[in-house]
Amino acid sequence: MAELTLFTYRKGDSLLHLLDVRCKFILLCLTSICIFKAHFSSVFLFIFVLIFFFINCRINLLKNLSGLAFFLLLLVLMFISRSVALPGDPVFTLFDISVTKQGMTDGALMVSRFFTIMMAGILFSITTRPASLKNAIQWLLKPVPFVPEKRVAVMVSLALTFLPLILRQANQVSDAQKARLGNLNKNPVKKIVRLSIPLLKKTFVSADNLAFAMEARCYDEDRTDPEFHLSGKEGLFFIGGLVLSACLVLY
Amino acid sequence: MKTPLIKIENLNHSFSDGTCGIRDICLCIDPEEFIILAGRNGSGKTTLIRHFNGLLHPSSGKITLNGNSIFKDINLARKKIGMIFQDADTQIVGDTVFDEVAFGLENLKIERQYITKKVMQVLKQLHLDHLKDRSPATLSGGEKRKLAIAGILVMEPDIILFDEPFSNLDYPGTLSILEILIDLHESGRTIIVAAHNMEAIIAHATRLIIMEDGRIKKDGPPKDLVKTLERFGIKEPCSSRLGFGIQPWQN
Ligand SMILES: Nc1ncnc2c1ncn2[C@@H]1O[C@H](COP(=O)(O)OP(=O)(O)O)[C@@H](O)[C@H]1O
Ligand SMILES: [Mg+2]
Repeated sequence: MAELTLFTYRKGDSLLHLLDVRCKFILLCLTSICIFKAHFSSVFLFIFVLIFFFINCRINLLKNLSGLAFFLLLLVLMFISRSVALPGDPVFTLFDISVTKQGMTDGALMVSRFFTIMMAGILFSITTRPASLKNAIQWLLKPVPFVPEKRVAVMVSLALTFLPLILRQANQVSDAQKARLGNLNKNPVKKIVRLSIPLLKKTFVSADNLAFAMEARCYDEDRTDPEFHLSGKEGLFFIGGLVLSACLVLY
Repeated sequence: MKTPLIKIENLNHSFSDGTCGIRDICLCIDPEEFIILAGRNGSGKTTLIRHFNGLLHPSSGKITLNGNSIFKDINLARKKIGMIFQDADTQIVGDTVFDEVAFGLENLKIERQYITKKVMQVLKQLHLDHLKDRSPATLSGGEKRKLAIAGILVMEPDIILFDEPFSNLDYPGTLSILEILIDLHESGRTIIVAAHNMEAIIAHATRLIIMEDGRIKKDGPPKDLVKTLERFGIKEPCSSRLGFGIQPWQN
């Protein structure tokens, strides 16, 4: 159930694992925005930085690329559509559709930007516990008016714990129906209705129990603030991140 | 005369659909008792114990803790009276074992330093400390039940209510929960266990209360009542049935 995918947290003690989540999260957002202004040279600079961190947390990206097959396919399609859509000097023409030089350059740039963001995202999710991401979101939402950041944090953590439970219940319901040959009915609408009614019922009962369990443990929105661990390198990373973002925007 | 720890007077509860959950319950509980609340499914055990910490409001009657109504300071009552629910899955709120145990203390706005110390101490006590960063969804049934107990123990309750603590557990799981129950009782806590199968715990109980149709039918020392159990749809423990009296379940 809790399969190890490219996006799940892995234990470790690399630089990024130890870095404060807030710093990591802010830098991820900042560089992801700035990269849409970037050109080849700075995108490659960013990729080199990312490769360094992948090596630092001992993740073999090449081994894991199969998990990204769909995403890579999407990138290829993006490249193709870009290269035929942009007007310019034709490189070759097939059935009246010409692939242009400008299009190919533009496509390649766009693909490399998306690829880089993806890599950065993977790196972030591998090195960050979902629980500490939740804490970072709570901390960042604190200065935003009218957003009850503690309630948001509790909701995020409930979603994180309840998703696996709901998925497991869905599997149980579906298995129970297969056991009574429910799979012989090929009508997809009927199938969904029959799956969702018992599942919804179960989910509501679970939610009711959960509400009781939280109340029994004195649930209150005014709670102890989360704790963050500084690794002492946040300043360095912050400056590095800012320099990188500047490069991305300028070059 | 000294005041009892918990005193329940003429408690009635009807659900919103008119079903009568419990009727005319009168009960006094003294410190350091180990009570089994027995009864067949639907006899009102869960409904009754959910009144102890104010999760359900009585239709009539009152409950006092040390002479004060529990609704006077509901958070104090919930801190003093811990409750472990029947379904371990739906009472888990945190996304890691550590966060799950810390939840109650965070609600009470205890300072972070104390929380960390207390949570680690309880995790060690229940031999869960090696799992502290795991997601609760990946634990076994017995570990989940222990986790639920840990989440209550951090609040240092005087009275602990268990709703069917042995349901869905295998033999080692049952044994380890049984050991925890005995330890908790020996350390001076009042234990109340709602169960329809008392094979494992009856030897350790100091008092047996039998419920039927929302009413208390019998109340007394286990050895006096054990022969009447089957009249109320509860299985008589094997040792007693074979004429050996009440024997401890584990050696
Ligand atoms: N939320 C509810 N609404 C209506 N009736 C309920 C509700 N919860 C329990 N009951 C009814 O109250 C009675 C006692 O239930 P319960 O306390 O859960 O029994 P036990 O825990 O001993 O199995 C049962 O007849 C049950 O059907
Ligand atoms: Mg029950």
